[in-house]
Amino acid sequence: MISIAGLGKKFLSGEQTVAALRGIDLEVARGEFFVLLGPSGSGKTTLLRCVAGLEKPDEGEIALNGAPVFSHRRRLCAAPEEREIGMVFQSYAIWPHLTVAENIGLVLTHGRARLSKKAAAERIRESLALVQLENFENRPARLLSGGQQQRVALARALAVNSALLLMDEPLSNLDARLREEVRANIKRLATQLGSTVLYVTHDQIEAMVLADRIAVMAHGEILQVGNPLELYRRPANALVAEFFGSINWLGGQMLEANCVETELGRLSVGDACQSGAVVVGIRPEDVRLERAFNGGENRIEGKVTRSTFLGDQVVTEVKLREKTVMAKSMPDAGLFADQVTVYLPKERLVVFPERAARSVD
Amino acid sequence: MKGRGWAVGIAAAALIPVLGLLLLVLWMGFWQNGPGEPVVYTLGHYRKIFSDPFTYKTFLNTIGFAATAMLVSLFFAVPTAWLVERTDVPCKNLILMLVTLGALLPTFFTAMGWVFLLHPRIGIVNRYLVDLFSLDAAPLNIASIAGMGWVEGLGLSSIAFIMVVATYRTMDPSLEEAARVHGLGILRTLRYVTLPLTFPGIIAASIYVFTIALSAFEVPAIIGMSNKIFTFSTFIFYKIQPLEELPSYGVAGAVSTVLIILALLLSWSYFRVLRFSHRYAVVTGKAYRPRLIELGATGRTLAWLFLGGYFVVAKLMPFLLLIWAALLRYFQPPSWAALEQVSLNNFYGLPWKLLLHGAWNTLILMLAVPTLTLLVCLAISWTVLRSGLRWRLVFDAVAFLPHAVPHLILAIAAMFATLFLLHNAFSLYGSLTILIFVYTVSRISFATRIINNSLAQIHPELEEAAFVGGLRLVQVMRKILVPLLKPALVYAWFWMALLCYRELTMASVLVTSQANVTLPMIVWGLWLGGSLNQAAAANLVVLAFMVPAVLLYFIFGRRGRVTEAA
Repeated sequence: MISIAGLGKKFLSGEQTVAALRGIDLEVARGEFFVLLGPSGSGKTTLLRCVAGLEKPDEGEIALNGAPVFSHRRRLCAAPEEREIGMVFQSYAIWPHLTVAENIGLVLTHGRARLSKKAAAERIRESLALVQLENFENRPARLLSGGQQQRVALARALAVNSALLLMDEPLSNLDARLREEVRANIKRLATQLGSTVLYVTHDQIEAMVLADRIAVMAHGEILQVGNPLELYRRPANALVAEFFGSINWLGGQMLEANCVETELGRLSVGDACQSGAVVVGIRPEDVRLERAFNGGENRIEGKVTRSTFLGDQVVTEVKLREKTVMAKSMPDAGLFADQVTVYLPKERLVVFPERAARSVD
Repeated sequence: MKGRGWAVGIAAAALIPVLGLLLLVLWMGFWQNGPGEPVVYTLGHYRKIFSDPFTYKTFLNTIGFAATAMLVSLFFAVPTAWLVERTDVPCKNLILMLVTLGALLPTFFTAMGWVFLLHPRIGIVNRYLVDLFSLDAAPLNIASIAGMGWVEGLGLSSIAFIMVVATYRTMDPSLEEAARVHGLGILRTLRYVTLPLTFPGIIAASIYVFTIALSAFEVPAIIGMSNKIFTFSTFIFYKIQPLEELPSYGVAGAVSTVLIILALLLSWSYFRVLRFSHRYAVVTGKAYRPRLIELGATGRTLAWLFLGGYFVVAKLMPFLLLIWAALLRYFQPPSWAALEQVSLNNFYGLPWKLLLHGAWNTLILMLAVPTLTLLVCLAISWTVLRSGLRWRLVFDAVAFLPHAVPHLILAIAAMFATLFLLHNAFSLYGSLTILIFVYTVSRISFATRIINNSLAQIHPELEEAAFVGGLRLVQVMRKILVPLLKPALVYAWFWMALLCYRELTMASVLVTSQANVTLPMIVWGLWLGGSLNQAAAANLVVLAFMVPAVLLYFIFGRRGRVTEAA
């Protein structure tokens, strides 16, 4: 449905040029809910706007539904109105001088479809019904609440009946409670209508709830594409691992296959095709705490410095030599005190080459 | 807060004269006799002006003049603003700079240029047209309401542009993008989204420009007065400084009162419309600029023809004509014969001693007025926004008055006061001090607005932290507020200095001797005296004096803050 190859885009920021996108390759299948996830400045919104035709890339190709809409080589760049898309903007972009019905009607009667007034009225009713705003047709748009505006924006994007829906952080201006409700609604509608969705967000929970597949972006590049489970369990690199929740890092040296000499001593790891200086990571919920000392592989004795009960989990900080490791355990386990054995299961350890920069931003 | 009394006191001291001058004008309109004679009150002046057909003619003239100026300025400003804000038209910085320069170019300067272009007798365009088509009479006449409105409109197009650009900038660009991605082309987006949404802003700009034109003095004075075409402002001026009869302050006061009421009504409607347009302004906080519309080769050519035509007509032609006129003894269209008469004699013959004295006076004004204005306006803004005083909104309203009340009327009231009310106590008549005073009063609205806008963005806790730390208000102003407000203050200072430089309206009433003569007044004096070519030469000299000030403004003051002026 969307195929992107070698896409690049530079911005002029003051005196310098900044690469907002570098060599992006991406394939999104028909009917897929695809999320672009990344911190601000990662290029995810720029990528979405390039697909919409609101930004003109500097290099590469974009094809929608098999038809090229941008090609640097062929000097082709279709205008936004020539691309078959519906879009929801972060600010919703609801026209304040029109009513709810007119906001949808304008794109039906004067947009690509050029429907008759009558056909448009029918379609307006349908699309407002989809977002449960049946009796709002004649309401001036500027009198709507944020949540209602969001739904009108969604109805407008759906009304044009495009197979492709673009959404730019559509939930970021809603309060937390409403966000969950609308999130579920978007997912339900996308499944029901079989639309292909390209969705931009910086919130990894939102991404995991909605997405069939996620592309994690940083510094204008795609770091990894995969479904939520893959990204969480098998991150391609440390940046992706850090972006999906907290993680403990240990520095170390690869000894042989499956064995690392770390700052906590020798650890067995799963298949790690690395050599030389590496970092070993483990998520806090994968760290097991045992009250008795059992000895054995990947078990280290440590001293509890703090253990906190948070209702649904217990968070414990354990000091192992000079290193503090964080562990999350089920509330039934109770609080930990004094000496514990920390068990780092080898199938839960991820190993990456020593990184230059640790944090995503 | 120690020292609050000081700030409020300074603010009050600055604003009481504003009210005083205004009340004086109203009072003046009811005096039967001239000043100095026993005071008898009468409604006679009002009866006279409302029964005199000349008043109605002047009223229609004024409305026609202001409406023409408004339409001309929008005709150039709206497309230019759209091109700069929404398309990929090249050299945007150059366009912005030329527009800013256009706002600074004295109106009397371009007005004189246009006389040389389109005067029925001497204007070269008319002469060419008459020769070319063997006409009996000149087809175009600058000395008409339409002609004067055209010149005023070209002058005001810069301000209109700045305001319309502000409308585009406060509009969420995704409103237009939403139309584009859902299938509306460029023209449909323009028609159904951009225009309706910017319409209130454009209407507000129209009212603003119309209000300025309504009380504009320079163009009617340079072009109209010698041809007996009066607008309200020149009519009032003529009543104060008539050629044959005695001055009639009563009539001037009555007409001024009518004009003030008109101007206040317009300002009120301006704010109504502006509030309406702000309902459409969605501040998203997103810093991206919308994708610019690609004009293509044809579009670019058309855009350049339009912009080029605008700058040639509005700025370059009057300028070239003034240069040509300055080099000739008698004005004539360019020809080989005329070329032989070209000389610098006009420049040699200028009253250089007077010019240097005028330059000195102007320099003092340029330094004193912005400084004084900023000092009092800092106190006013602080009183309005931070003092928590119950009367603070009164301060705000009074600080707005000098914007609404025509500056010519402020000057007349001040002159009246110095001439008849204060002359035993202080001899301010014909002094530089009175110029400094009235110029400062007239700029209070502008400076208060700029400082208000900036001060509103500074969190009050920044000051409160300093108060808690034991600083007095004066120290808080010096150490916290002034450094934080510095960009706005510098910009406002330079802009006001440049406006001081070109000020002719108030000077025309208040400059009564060589002691307080300013540069624009010298030019105008030569022009009124009939030596048009010498006036052109003097004008160029005055403009040359202005260049360093403009350069300083572009180096230190600008920082893209021009939009705040509107």
